Amino acid sequence: MNSVTRTRRLLKWAGNLLLAVLLVWTLVPFYWMVATSLKKDKEIYGFEATLIPRHPTLDAYRRLFAQTPFVKYLRNSTIIAVTTTVGSLVLGSLGAYALARLRFPGRSVIARGLIFTYLVPQSLLFIPLFAIMSTFALIDTREGLILAYLGITLPFCTWLLLGYFRSVPVELEEAALVDGCSHLSALVRIILPMSLPALAVVAFFSFTQAWNEFVYANVLVNSVDVRTITTGLTLFIVEDVFFWGPMMGAAVLATVPPVLVYLVFQRWVVKGLTLGAVKG
Amino acid sequence: MERRVTRRQALKAAGIAAGIASSPWWLVRTSHAQRAKKLVFWHVPNFTPLADELQKQQVYDFAKQAGLKDSDVEYAVVANEQFQAKLAAAIEAGNPPDVTRLYESNVQYYAASGHLLDVTDVVDKMRREPKGIFESAMSSVLYKGRAMGVPLAVNPWPVHTRLDLLEQAKLEYPKTWDEFIETSKKIQSPPRLYAFGMCLGLVEDTTDNVMNLLWCYGGKMVEADNKTVVMNSPGNLAGVKVIEAMFKVHKIIPPGAISWDNSGNNKAYQSKQAAFVMNPSSIYAYLDGNDKDLQKVTGLFPVPAGPHGTVNQIDTWAYGAFKKNPYPDLAKGLLDYFMQPANYDKIIQSTGGRWVPVYKRLFESPFWTSKPAFRYFIKMAETGVPVSYAGSPTPAAGEVLNTHVIPKMIQRVLVDDWEPARALDECHKKIVEIYARNEKG
Repeated sequence: MNSVTRTRRLLKWAGNLLLAVLLVWTLVPFYWMVATSLKKDKEIYGFEATLIPRHPTLDAYRRLFAQTPFVKYLRNSTIIAVTTTVGSLVLGSLGAYALARLRFPGRSVIARGLIFTYLVPQSLLFIPLFAIMSTFALIDTREGLILAYLGITLPFCTWLLLGYFRSVPVELEEAALVDGCSHLSALVRIILPMSLPALAVVAFFSFTQAWNEFVYANVLVNSVDVRTITTGLTLFIVEDVFFWGPMMGAAVLATVPPVLVYLVFQRWVVKGLTLGAVKG
Repeated sequence: MERRVTRRQALKAAGIAAGIASSPWWLVRTSHAQRAKKLVFWHVPNFTPLADELQKQQVYDFAKQAGLKDSDVEYAVVANEQFQAKLAAAIEAGNPPDVTRLYESNVQYYAASGHLLDVTDVVDKMRREPKGIFESAMSSVLYKGRAMGVPLAVNPWPVHTRLDLLEQAKLEYPKTWDEFIETSKKIQSPPRLYAFGMCLGLVEDTTDNVMNLLWCYGGKMVEADNKTVVMNSPGNLAGVKVIEAMFKVHKIIPPGAISWDNSGNNKAYQSKQAAFVMNPSSIYAYLDGNDKDLQKVTGLFPVPAGPHGTVNQIDTWAYGAFKKNPYPDLAKGLLDYFMQPANYDKIIQSTGGRWVPVYKRLFESPFWTSKPAFRYFIKMAETGVPVSYAGSPTPAAGEVLNTHVIPKMIQRVLVDDWEPARALDECHKKIVEIYARNEKG
């Protein structure tokens, strides 16, 4: 008995230690970003790497807002990520519902095709995508970038929702249809309210994908007016000189929205990842 | 409950979807040729916001003169890091910019692949300016005897030098590499300060730094015929042995230099951890805006001499105009406008010394004559050679640079403890293969 208790205690401590290591592993880069953004150039380039800024300054942030179009980047990233998220939720729900409930030829091929589409690497797609966007005059527009991002997020979101919708008892929906609901109405009134955890995962996934994406944003956008944060950050590197202060400041601010989104959806995200993702 | 879709309906929907999906592929062929009259300029950031602003202003001023509205100008800012992928996609889609800035090996690469517009007439006009231009810049833009790019700036790679440390030790800037080693040993105080911030990581700057030293010992990568690779020559062997001794015996190069990226030598100098670094004047220009005290004690010198004298590196940036543009006269007009000495001088001076003018007479301006740091620049610009010396910056030379063949060679010696001759032999074979493959096309 004593030996069992001791083993459990040991395992608990080992688990805690592992978590502590992972915590440090996760937080130290973030801390380093914050600390660097508060240092002066001389300290950043100094011989000794200082853990805590010696003379903290908001100079990098002042430069960021006064001398760079960072606010524009932030605005564009927000518009694009939010629209992509909404688009993924609406189109993903409709697509997943059709695949889960309607019978039509090629249904299973489309369902499998979704995941194969998701697996094609972006580095193969960006040139043909550029050609398509160029033809439809969607280069250098937020609409073009949103459509490109929906190409990334929709297959995965539809596939994830498909699994979840299949787990919703069909009898509930049949009852709604008998009571006079249409398919769309049954989706909105019955299925979606029961699928909140999966929708939260879809929202979180779409938002972070659209927020962090670099390759398409780099290739499909030219002007400052449409540029997003990820590509804006690279403008702090001029040839072989890095402007670390503003770059780290921008990186710190860029992490805030995804963190907020995660905090809002956290409760459902955990549930959704453990339930919906394994069903279907 | 489940609704059935007929086979006919499914086939109809699939046909429409296939039509929509494939339409871009034939539409894209004609879209570019049919575009309205406009000017597309991709701007790679210059070294200072002022230079960027002036350049943008010049694009719009020219467009106005050419009868275009502001809305007819597509002015994009493309970071250096993103440039290659973006340009590759744009070319593949048949939609490259009309004009942009290209590095020397890119001019050759895109000229060889038939994408660049012949701009010999613009360059000839520049050559006719009083005192002309530095002809050393021409090797990077000439392709089969025609100018396929307009040389924008000819950039020497001086040795950035801490004059205060030399003064404290009552020493002069060393004239030879032997003196350089002795001076280095006297002024350094490791680990806080190593004398020579030589780039030795798997990056482009390492090729530049290593080759520059090898030239002084009679080495080179390829003969002027751009075919005969001579990497395993006695000159290169002598030079590699000097670098090995600097690193292992004299210990004047920081050990961490073998893992530096292209900014490693910049950071070492800017943080006062190196007394000498070989780099374009981007460091000097950075100090102008960020550390005036260090700038005041920074000298810019030619590299010390070896048995074969002093050989200095230059690199050349150029403007390229793409053939796909349905309005080539507009693109050439913009290049001509940029290169009008009065317009050009404003941009060059606003970079704080980062860009060195391609027009010789612009060196008479007080901007260049009043600063002792620039006193060797004119000679370096006149006599400098590209990294591909004795060859030109061909696509093959570009591949050698981009695949880090020479940095791998020096790491064989410094990290894997290979004999220099063995490392050079391996490097030689790789470069021969690259040149042979490029020769075949």
